[in-house]
Amino acid sequence: MESTHNLKKRIKSVVNINKITKAMELVAATKMRRAQEIALTSRPYAFVALDLLANLSLLKKDIPLLMEKRKIKKVLFVLVSSDKGLAGSFNGAVFKKFEQHMARDKEKYKTEEKFFVAVGEKSFNYLSKNNLSVLQKFSNVGDYATKEQVEPLTDFIVKGYLRGGKKWPTSNAFGVADAGWDRVIIFSMHFKSALKQEAHVRRVLPVDFDHIKETIQELVPETGKFAELIKESFGTAQDKPKFTDYLIEPSPKIVLENLTKHLLFMQLYHLILEANAAEHSARRMAMKTASDNASELGENLNLQYNKSRQAGITNQIIEITAGAESLS
Amino acid sequence: MKLSIYSLKKVLFSGEAELLNCKTAIGEITVLDNHETFIGVLTKGIMKVMEKPFGMTQGKEHFFEINSGFLEVREGNEVRCIVE
Repeated sequence: MESTHNLKKRIKSVVNINKITKAMELVAATKMRRAQEIALTSRPYAFVALDLLANLSLLKKDIPLLMEKRKIKKVLFVLVSSDKGLAGSFNGAVFKKFEQHMARDKEKYKTEEKFFVAVGEKSFNYLSKNNLSVLQKFSNVGDYATKEQVEPLTDFIVKGYLRGGKKWPTSNAFGVADAGWDRVIIFSMHFKSALKQEAHVRRVLPVDFDHIKETIQELVPETGKFAELIKESFGTAQDKPKFTDYLIEPSPKIVLENLTKHLLFMQLYHLILEANAAEHSARRMAMKTASDNASELGENLNLQYNKSRQAGITNQIIEITAGAESLS
Repeated sequence: MKLSIYSLKKVLFSGEAELLNCKTAIGEITVLDNHETFIGVLTKGIMKVMEKPFGMTQGKEHFFEINSGFLEVREGNEVRCIVE
């Protein structure tokens, strides 16, 4: 049996671990709630914007650049992960999805040029480890809450996409900073509920009306505190769009182009927020199990400590009685 | 007219309004009751909203600073804005 001194030390460290994980759990829970709330407050806005796009796309014929479908030669992959670990299977799930996707579409992607963008330190590490060159890294995403923080990412993606549309021979000639692409695919976590997250693959560019709608509808978790909200305010997006003669300033083309860019930005913003909520809830779960384990371990150690203390006392009594007997 | 102004953070205004004044890509526009259906791009500026007068009391005025956004005047005397 271990000495009581050693046991005491171990108990102390386990108790400390328990305290830390408990604190992290609470922090993650608050952060998760905040990310969710931010995502929810922008919902009415998203619906109106979508509605507007629906109305606009009815009246006009020429498609803005961002919606145009062209031949896919270059693909950009964006992996959204967390900056820090200790989030259970959160990052692993994203990478697994990515691997599956790449394995499945191996043939399809053979002829296409691939680019990678890492959002979060972990995905950067992962991509570098797999010898995939990373075009650009965005970190500190985990605490993103305002749109200003998402703007650099959107700008980067949109600019590259517009460059991709030009008839340039290959991107290599222009260096990394000038690379362009014809399609953007994002791998990120979908926040299903506080207990369940799933890795999703989404195509964000070229912009597709249905895809955006899907993202916005997914904004609300299927279960939990905010689930009831999903039923309301859906009327707008699903109304049969009827043809109205709008007066459009300055021109339909400009408005539509602005709007698609805006919607794309919004979609990315929501993806990031959702990934945030998922990250924090994954971390919360991981920390919860960790603190549960720690307290269980602590209990066991405590039992062991008591036993060994008891054994020590019994030993001493035996020695005393033996000593007393030998004297008499 | 029924006016709602949405920003990413929250709903800035929602209710009956008498007047809406804002800057668009090609100039300033004031939307009153029963405006023609209209879609426009908003630019940086101040958006002014005047609430409908209630009895004798003058409607309250609201001002919002905006960077960009869209304005849509719909059928049925309804106006919606998304702004930043």
